[in-house]
Amino acid sequence: MSGSEALALSMIAAFIGLVFTGYPIAWVLGGLAVLYTAIAIVLEVDFHIPTNVDWFYASVTVDRIWDLMENWVMVALPMFIFMGILLDRSGIARDLLTGFARLFGPVRGGLAITVTVIGVLLAASTGIIGASVVLLGLLGLPVMLERGYDKRFASGTVCAVGTLGILIPPSIMLVVMADRMSMSVGDLFLGALLPGMLLAGLYILYVAGVGLLRPAHAPAGGGEPLDLRGAWQLVKAVVPAAFLILAVLGSIFFGLATPTEAAGVGAAGALLLALLKRALSRKVMAEVLEETSRTTGFIFGVIVGAVAFTLVLRGLGGDELIERALLGLPFGPTGILVCILLATFVLGFFLDWLELTLIILPLVSPVIASLAFDPVWFTVMFAVCLQTSFLTPPVGGALFYLRGIAPPGVDLPVIYRGVAPFIVIQLLGLAAIFHWRELVTWLPAQAYG
Amino acid sequence: MPELPETRFSKRIDAALSAAGRAASWLWLVLLGVIVVNVTLRYVFGEGRIELEELQWHLNAAAFLAAIAYGYRVDSHIRIDLISSRLPPRRRAWIELLGTALLLLPFLALVLWFGVPFFWHSWAVSEVSASPGGLPWRWLLKALLPLTALFLIAAAAARLSRVWRYLATGDVATGDGGDGR
Repeated sequence: MSGSEALALSMIAAFIGLVFTGYPIAWVLGGLAVLYTAIAIVLEVDFHIPTNVDWFYASVTVDRIWDLMENWVMVALPMFIFMGILLDRSGIARDLLTGFARLFGPVRGGLAITVTVIGVLLAASTGIIGASVVLLGLLGLPVMLERGYDKRFASGTVCAVGTLGILIPPSIMLVVMADRMSMSVGDLFLGALLPGMLLAGLYILYVAGVGLLRPAHAPAGGGEPLDLRGAWQLVKAVVPAAFLILAVLGSIFFGLATPTEAAGVGAAGALLLALLKRALSRKVMAEVLEETSRTTGFIFGVIVGAVAFTLVLRGLGGDELIERALLGLPFGPTGILVCILLATFVLGFFLDWLELTLIILPLVSPVIASLAFDPVWFTVMFAVCLQTSFLTPPVGGALFYLRGIAPPGVDLPVIYRGVAPFIVIQLLGLAAIFHWRELVTWLPAQAYG
Repeated sequence: MPELPETRFSKRIDAALSAAGRAASWLWLVLLGVIVVNVTLRYVFGEGRIELEELQWHLNAAAFLAAIAYGYRVDSHIRIDLISSRLPPRRRAWIELLGTALLLLPFLALVLWFGVPFFWHSWAVSEVSASPGGLPWRWLLKALLPLTALFLIAAAAARLSRVWRYLATGDVATGDGGDGR
């Protein structure tokens, strides 16, 4: 290990140490990038240890932030956030969930099942994890807590279900991965569809199981049974909202609109529904917009900090260090594959999908090719690992998105414990995909066979 | 965090940031309108407009930069309060002081230091969009990055003055709580 690689390791350690001081993560990431650039320069100048990192290198941070500014796809994020907050504030989401809650009333854990089903629909429409978690958190979490759900179980369900958005196509992550692996986006979409559905199915089994075995954690709906008037109210609540989701989902799925456009149109639809419901005063509008800014602000804040951090970490050779360790393993092909996935899973605790997709995937793809594994199969498993990384503390994205919008009392420790069972489910799903490759390869073969 | 006391300096800065942040949040509504107009033009009139697509990410960039600064003002940037929420208020104030001085301000200095020439170069060559029909005045958008860093430095200075007053005098916030919540 070279001096600069040791520095890279200490940078990761410093990050993990400092986030627990409670200082905002965005600034810890950005600040460490600057501090470690300074340390690298001192090492190079005064101790003649080559580091490749200097102020000119660190200045690329500005170009990376600009990349983020001119990223048209990211425009979808605030639009989905706005849509979610508006659906919440105007009471539309509440009507939808209470309506479904009465429908699923007799079923224990019915609300959690509802959230899971709605989450899968969202996953098929957005593919942007932050937006899914935010929308589900605003839609489902307050209602579940009101009905006496266990805080951990409810928040864990919302987080886990929200992460399906990044796996179930159409998904931005899969598009970037297909690009990196020089494979067809269509193949990867089709390959990820069944694994995504498998995971959703496992979630529903788990949620229903908790409702059955631990009724106190996921009580039955409790409200009055569905009568004719209630049924009419359900229809009134469901039809516009379902139309909205279908419009967003359908326009992306049939290629009528990009995710950004679909998000904007969806937000406009939510605005229209709120106006029709007469739930929109100037004051409510200002509050919704202000809240959109708060949520968008901290999400983009972390992205900006992470951009600087990973830039310097990469410059110090942190990624090469990891690559060498992987390739020097004394195992057979399957063993190396398992190690890569395991390492991805572990790295996912600290790095996010974009960095892992852009750094690790190109590094391991030649290895995968030379070991003669199906690239689509491998990429889908890689994608499941990264999806899981959104759930793993300390820096799982989904946890923070939820924390940003969760009601008081749902703190990070609560969410950490809530997602633990879902991480186990993710690993089970991953094992299933590993064992039954047809889960990935069957659908693309049907389409193009 | 204890309820930090305000200072005359922090009151002015914070009031300006709150007003700017709230005003900028209306950009989301403008952005929504632009997307709807763009989609309508394409499907109803069969007309793709590059400038409208560019306007979307221009608005998004301006609004999210403002939102990052506003998020600092109202303290909504995500913190892992797992351990720190159990620390005594004075120690948390010290963490805030050191974090701001050693992490936040150096990072903002980096963005400002390299953001100014980044904007300046764009201004000097009168940079416009590379795509046909794209928007002019790209330097204007690029200027927002160092400007946001400058705003945040002012906000961080305001926060420091409050933390300092708390640590020096033990005063806590009076009246409206002062942190905008």
